[in-house]
Amino acid sequence: MITVSTVKRGLHKGFYTTWELTKVVVPVYIVVTFLKYTPAMDFIARFCEPAMKILGLPGEASIVLVLGNLLNIYAAIGAISSLHLSAKAITILATMLLISHSLPIESAVSKKTGVSPLLMVGFRLVMSLLAGAALNLLL
Amino acid sequence: MVDWLAFAREAGRGSLESVAIMAAIIFPLMLLMEMARDAQLLDRFSEKVSPVLKVFGMSGEASLPLLVGGVFGLAYGAGVIIESARSGRITWRDLFLVNVFLSLCHSVIEDTALFIALGADPVVILGGRLVLAVVITYLVSRSGWLTSRERGKLKVPVGG
Repeated sequence: MITVSTVKRGLHKGFYTTWELTKVVVPVYIVVTFLKYTPAMDFIARFCEPAMKILGLPGEASIVLVLGNLLNIYAAIGAISSLHLSAKAITILATMLLISHSLPIESAVSKKTGVSPLLMVGFRLVMSLLAGAALNLLL
Repeated sequence: MVDWLAFAREAGRGSLESVAIMAAIIFPLMLLMEMARDAQLLDRFSEKVSPVLKVFGMSGEASLPLLVGGVFGLAYGAGVIIESARSGRITWRDLFLVNVFLSLCHSVIEDTALFIALGADPVVILGGRLVLAVVITYLVSRSGWLTSRERGKLKVPVGG
């Protein structure tokens, strides 16, 4: 049954999620933007470029993949919005991250349901890389 | 040298803008999802999905955890999955396949909406992931590897 408490709960979840997202997106956005103003970003971009090319992504997008997999999707969102990437790059990154993200936290869920966390992490990373490489060729 | 003024301006305005866009998506979404939950849309839908799961050799018991995790995300889904595992209504094999499917495809509403807001192609990120999850789950369900693992795991290890 949909009641007033449904709406209240929805609004509460809205506030909560927005706050959780803000706590991550704002610091990540600031740090990544700062990197852009220093030579560090150039260095990271050039260092990662050969590997990222296979995925159809610029070198600096490696930051997005690392943040998304180690932290969560919100961190990746903060980095993506700061980097101003192309639509193709964002689509590839989004697909890769939706398949594989928040690995430390989510593999804990697998463990509780009796499935090997290491197996799941490896599986998701491989799938994510394959999907990225495939989309690079298709898009 | 770092151009501090330009940095402060870009970081300040950009980060707030991102949060504002995300908030504009999150609020209506959370309201709709809570309504869907209270109207028990998924419970009704899960009965219709059950026959489809036979393709993967899964029992109907797996359909609710699959749908809840797929639509609302692992945070909600985990509760339902762990509860099914604990109660013993669901086999290790079904549970493993639910994990395989959900690890590739979960929280399809919230996460997808956030990436669409950033400019990602909706068809690719939703359709592509769904197709991938279905194909991989099918392949794993038919693999000899799963059958061999299953023999050693007649009981579901929970809480370990």
